[in-house]
Amino acid sequence: MLVQQLVNGLTLGAIYSLIALGYTLVYGILTMINFAHSEVLMLGAFMALGLAALLPAIFGEGLVGLAGMFVLSMAGAGLINVLIERFAYRPLRHVSRLAPLISAIGVSIILQNGVFIWISTQSLTFPEPVAIGQVEVFGATISSLQVIILAAALLLMAILHFFVEHTKLGKAMRACSDDIQTAGLMGINPNYIIALTFFVGGALGGAAGVLYGMNYGSIKYNLGFLPGAKAFTAAVLGGIGNIRGAVLGGFILGFLEVLASGYIPNGAQWRDVIAFTVLIIVLLVRPSGLLGEKLAEKV
Amino acid sequence: MKKALAWRWTPWVALALAAVFPFLAATLDAQYLVRVGGVIGLFMLLGLGLNFTLGYAGLFDLGFIAFYAIGAYTTAIAMRAGVPAPAALVLAVMMSLAVRALLGLTILRLRGDYLAVVTMGFGEIARLTINNLDALTNGPKGLQVAPWRPLAFLSADPNIQYYLLILIAVAGGVIASSRIEDSRVGRAWIAIREDEIAARLSGIPVRHYKLLAFTISAAFAGLAGGLFAQWEQFVTPESFVFWESILVVSIVVLGGMGSIAGVLVGALVLVGFPPIMQWKLSADWINYRYLFFGLILVLVTLFRPQGILPSSRREAELTS
Amino acid sequence: MSASKTPPARVLLEVKDLAQHFGGLKAVDQVNLTIHEGEIVSVIGPNGAGKTTFFNVLTGVYPGTRGQILFNGQELRGMAGHDIVAIGVARTFQNIRLFAHMTALENVMVGRHTRTHQFLLGPLLRTAAFKNEEKAVEVMAKELLEFVGLKSLGNELAKNLPYGAQRKLEIARSLASEPKLLILDEPTAGMNPTESQDLVALVRKVRERGVTVLLIEHQMRVVMDISDRVFVFDYGVKIAEGKPREVVANARVIEAYLGKEGAS
Repeated sequence: MLVQQLVNGLTLGAIYSLIALGYTLVYGILTMINFAHSEVLMLGAFMALGLAALLPAIFGEGLVGLAGMFVLSMAGAGLINVLIERFAYRPLRHVSRLAPLISAIGVSIILQNGVFIWISTQSLTFPEPVAIGQVEVFGATISSLQVIILAAALLLMAILHFFVEHTKLGKAMRACSDDIQTAGLMGINPNYIIALTFFVGGALGGAAGVLYGMNYGSIKYNLGFLPGAKAFTAAVLGGIGNIRGAVLGGFILGFLEVLASGYIPNGAQWRDVIAFTVLIIVLLVRPSGLLGEKLAEKV
Repeated sequence: MKKALAWRWTPWVALALAAVFPFLAATLDAQYLVRVGGVIGLFMLLGLGLNFTLGYAGLFDLGFIAFYAIGAYTTAIAMRAGVPAPAALVLAVMMSLAVRALLGLTILRLRGDYLAVVTMGFGEIARLTINNLDALTNGPKGLQVAPWRPLAFLSADPNIQYYLLILIAVAGGVIASSRIEDSRVGRAWIAIREDEIAARLSGIPVRHYKLLAFTISAAFAGLAGGLFAQWEQFVTPESFVFWESILVVSIVVLGGMGSIAGVLVGALVLVGFPPIMQWKLSADWINYRYLFFGLILVLVTLFRPQGILPSSRREAELTS
Repeated sequence: MSASKTPPARVLLEVKDLAQHFGGLKAVDQVNLTIHEGEIVSVIGPNGAGKTTFFNVLTGVYPGTRGQILFNGQELRGMAGHDIVAIGVARTFQNIRLFAHMTALENVMVGRHTRTHQFLLGPLLRTAAFKNEEKAVEVMAKELLEFVGLKSLGNELAKNLPYGAQRKLEIARSLASEPKLLILDEPTAGMNPTESQDLVALVRKVRERGVTVLLIEHQMRVVMDISDRVFVFDYGVKIAEGKPREVVANARVIEAYLGKEGAS
């Protein structure tokens, strides 16, 4: 029972982590909550659904087709995120802290309702990526779906880690995250790096959307909101702006939810209450999140 | 001088127009708009309330609707227990204030976006708790409230009665807000927003004043919630979702933070727009109303980031 | 060098073994000093000597690591910043910290906060007490603007004032709380000689109001001109104190501070 819960928590946590990364990357560089991120996630899932119908003809069935669907959905989601930044946030970058947030809320509403109007008002069935098999490990049933989700998420996190820590662009991104003005003086074009950050964050969100669709088997125009809000919570829990914190927060939230549903009477009902309560308690004890840095004020 | 004079009369003219509107609407067979007007009024109250937290103290709150819910449910539960309607409203305000003060005492030392996410969490906790506490709230099925007919001498139509009652509440809220703004307390809030450390070292107990602004907000929300419950005669958790909190934040920011007139205009535009579209347009277009709503949010923010009617001080802050 | 050749006896501020450490950094350490009522005292020392940190501990911005700050015999350490203002210590800032989008008059009115009492009910009901207090605050704020020489600028937003006027406005704001001790952090920073002289005159006028003044100052001419006594800080420690002339002659001071200054 416990092992089963842990496996489920790991799967859910992996998805939350991917989404949380998108919030935290953008926050790290612009200190803004990309409210439309949940819609990027939703669009990622819808693109994957569209591609799932098209791609087998090109790539054939199986893992190649799956990978193609994945990569293209990610690229599409990343691109959408870049466009959102370009048109809805950039003009407001120096205006005030709240203006981009309101603009983001507007974008989020537009995207949701766009899908609602032009694609579907109802839930659509998300195809099974591969025939689902099951493995028994220590009494827990692990489906091939869970393996795929976990493997894809971990692979993406590893790629992100390599990118941020070991490539020139990744270093530029970190530099901008530390201090965007100074980075600008060092010859880094901040607009370019910001666009790149939105692309990477959006792509991770898109990937999460695809995994989310696979995990639940159906998608809807408003699917992004709940995991988006929770993943944002996870990012804050870990210490927003901090990459490792986002991953940590995502997994903690995943486990918390699964364990609450499994072990507390009426746990499924109280699951989110417990998650948010834990968040509040953690922030009261550690006001900058688990791995966040403390900010000092200069007089 | 002429302009100043005109501005002085604007609120009174607006109030008079708003007061005769439902009677005109009734003759024009547009009762639907009276309902819409009432809802706009409720959100004006919510906006005026949040304006203390967001506009004056600069604290970011994404779960404000919880206090609307607390007001509504307190009223409903009290009235079901036999408390007279006006007393139930007072209870609603007091309950909202009490919960808000406790919340503020716990979380106000958090900063900026951390505060935002914690208030969002609180909003969800409140809604889910209402949803799950069947014994007290009857869960998702909601609570019925016995009818109360205030201002019956003005009109037999309950919608008009509540419209006018809400209008009185909004007028009272505007007067209270502007009087507090224009006092030692209001100056202290503005000073805190401008420079917290300088404010503290000018003798302002910053934490107390933040808590004060944060708490006062709830009085407006509690009152609005109570009126809502009495008007609808029915409350369910569905009315208090996260989206409604976002709507109130949008009203304050889009209208112009810290600007009372801005909040009123913000509520008028954002709350009035979708139902008015729904009223005027054919069924095909109804689906588009929230799409346009989103577009308005984005476009107004892009072209008037300081808000539609910003306070003069805010405008100066944002253009500098 | 004016009236106070013989310092008045009453002690206003007594600092005992005060320290402020940040991790291993001893920004302020083992500071002992006494300030008498009616004095103008300067703190000098090279950059990074801990002068501003010292002021920040005095005014409750930093908690202090050790020691005592007795103001009229009352311990300031551990008090909140606004309470310190209430018992009579006000300050200005090295980097001007005005309420930029409030008018000059409103800035001073905010400074009156601790000496006024109207809370919610008064303004809500527009009581006579409220109106009287508002009127009185405004009158006093205008008087203070006139006092610092900004009479005609009351309705300007603080951020639109010229630099020198902003410094004076900060002083007016601090005076509105009727402090017994006024702490000025580099009041002449960035000023030309004429403006500096102007400010020296203002500081003297402040003392004439019965306010004791403690200031950080870099311009030696101002220090010599204005101070009854001088404290010299270096590496967080007070290395000398005395009349301006004595301090200038002190070998440790020359080594720590004037050596560099003299070369330029």
